[in-house]
Amino acid sequence: MTLFIQQLFNGLALGGVYCLAAIGLTLVFGVLRIPNLAHGALYMLGAYLTYFFLTTIGVPYIAAIGIAAIMLFVVGVGLERLVFHPLRNSPHTHHMIAAVGAMFFFQALAQAIWGADFRRMDTPITGELRILGAEISAQRIVIIVVAVIVLALLAWFIKRSIHGQTIEAIEQDRVGASLVGINPSMVSMLTLGLSALLATIAAGLVAPINLLSPTMGDALNLKVFAIIILGGLGSLPGAIVGGFALAIAETMTATYISSGVGEAVAFIVLVAVLAIKPTGLFTKAVQR
Amino acid sequence: MNSVPRTRSRRLLSSAAIGTLVFTIAACGGGGSGDGGDTVVIGYTGPLSGGGAAYGENVKIGLEMAVDDLNDDGVEVDGKPVTLELKSLDDKYAPSTAASNAQRLADQDKAPVVVSPNAGAIKAIQQINSGRSNFLISAYTSDPAIVQSDNPLTMMIPPNFESYASEFTETGMKHGGKKLALLGTQSEYGQQWTKSITDAWKEAGGSVGGDNSVDYATVSDFAGPVSKALADKPDAIFVGGPSQPTALIMEEARKQGFEGSFLVMDQAKLDEMATVAKIDNLTNSVGVLPVSEYEDPGTKDFIDKFADKAGDKKVPTSETALNYQGIAIITKAMEVSGSTDDPEKIRASISDALPEVDDKYKVNGFPDEITDQGHLLNPNLEATYLDDDGEYTKVPIDQVSDAK
Repeated sequence: MTLFIQQLFNGLALGGVYCLAAIGLTLVFGVLRIPNLAHGALYMLGAYLTYFFLTTIGVPYIAAIGIAAIMLFVVGVGLERLVFHPLRNSPHTHHMIAAVGAMFFFQALAQAIWGADFRRMDTPITGELRILGAEISAQRIVIIVVAVIVLALLAWFIKRSIHGQTIEAIEQDRVGASLVGINPSMVSMLTLGLSALLATIAAGLVAPINLLSPTMGDALNLKVFAIIILGGLGSLPGAIVGGFALAIAETMTATYISSGVGEAVAFIVLVAVLAIKPTGLFTKAVQR
Repeated sequence: MNSVPRTRSRRLLSSAAIGTLVFTIAACGGGGSGDGGDTVVIGYTGPLSGGGAAYGENVKIGLEMAVDDLNDDGVEVDGKPVTLELKSLDDKYAPSTAASNAQRLADQDKAPVVVSPNAGAIKAIQQINSGRSNFLISAYTSDPAIVQSDNPLTMMIPPNFESYASEFTETGMKHGGKKLALLGTQSEYGQQWTKSITDAWKEAGGSVGGDNSVDYATVSDFAGPVSKALADKPDAIFVGGPSQPTALIMEEARKQGFEGSFLVMDQAKLDEMATVAKIDNLTNSVGVLPVSEYEDPGTKDFIDKFADKAGDKKVPTSETALNYQGIAIITKAMEVSGSTDDPEKIRASISDALPEVDDKYKVNGFPDEITDQGHLLNPNLEATYLDDDGEYTKVPIDQVSDAK
């Protein structure tokens, strides 16, 4: 039972990270209609910038994540302007190739600046909590709490604020939205910026329990694609449910079956969803 | 009738472009090998980008340091002064790329020796190094399969990893207990180690729990796998992959209340691990001896020079130190054989060259012989036990035969 509780919390913390990363990706897919393969690289860059502000400059932890997130917002906007916007009328393959190019560029950039070595980011949040006999580190509790707060804020932003509603409007009908005066290219910039910002928060939260390296985004990239396909491409609730479901499935299969299966579970889910219900759990995105 | 001249001019333009390109390539090729006998290229193919980049860079630093030091000392082959030049190519850990890199280094740059730090890549290079092109492989891997293949032009640098299993088992049992959990990495090499440790542990009368190996490179949070491994209440845990994630796993295990001993695979270096985790979380473990604990004549100077080159935050590891030694051995073999371009002669002279190598290049367990299959043997191989006070105690290792 203790093991179960322990793994449930480990799964929830992992789920929080997956969610934050997946939501950005699903938003970008909803608005720009492209799979942003550079998403993992943005996550990596976010982690390094957080590390830079925390360790090199000496800003407090939460502020370091905040500053890095804002900087990544700018990077996201730049990525949209310089890479995806010029390609908006070209075939989809071009976007993917461009995204892969951006990914390699960011990785090479990080290696040039911070080197290829693994780096460790220490946080001021230490200590353990005992919950029903399980030892849960405070950092994991922070991950879960922050993920929930950020997700709630995001939901409010998209459902209630004007700028957020434009994202949803464009997702639903690009032409219709522009007819009522929404500028699609502004929304595209906002969305990519937002997705990079969310990825940075995820990275800043998970970095202390993991290591930084220029390729740290690769593994996450695959997982978040599995999540948004499971949840339904472009669907916000889908990304949230998918993120937690996949993370818990991963930790539980690794615990009760084998670690090999745990690693594979994302891809088993991916294949199963594509075979049985290709639109995912929450069908929302209208494929055109 | 506008289109005809346009096509023609395009053709002209493209043939001009191709011509220039061919000319440039030819000029480049000439530049690498055309300087006569005074420059010898040491080739290196290793992962310089992607997931293995840190490892590849560590090896490269050792090679660069060796080439710089040897050039400063002056190398003389057959009465003529020779300058060494290191040429590095990135293979991103892919054996096929490594093989084509090696071919290129041998053909284009006339490198008599190519360094590779990865068993898979070495096996691929062994297909091409003694046939149409001839070059010596300076092989940095502890997988004995590369000498079992009887390749005449291979020099294996590190000790055979199978040598560690029985001593690690004995030490791990003494300081932990009879029950082992497996938490190594899922790479091919990690799995070979897991098997070797499992066999030795069972032979010594211990019990081994289920295999909890995880891919150290892709797991986002080690808490899950660690909780699972600890659920069996083991007395000892086998861990190991790259140093830094290994350190995180051990730290997590200690945080979750594990008090037994750790058996640390040779890929992870205890002193390098201490750069990312507190040493208190790494104690009671048996692993390979850190470079700084070696007492070879050149070790101290080597560590100082390494700090100058790589910064004092980085820890010199055997990847750097053993390759530093390796290049010194090969260069001495060139001097002894009197040839810079005949790999067979160079390989045949390694045995005579070993006692001739200057003391400053003896940094990390210097070998005193090379086997017929090409394995350098250090007569006093030692591992280490890191005790609860954070002190290293040397553990002598009996080396096993490289035969299958």
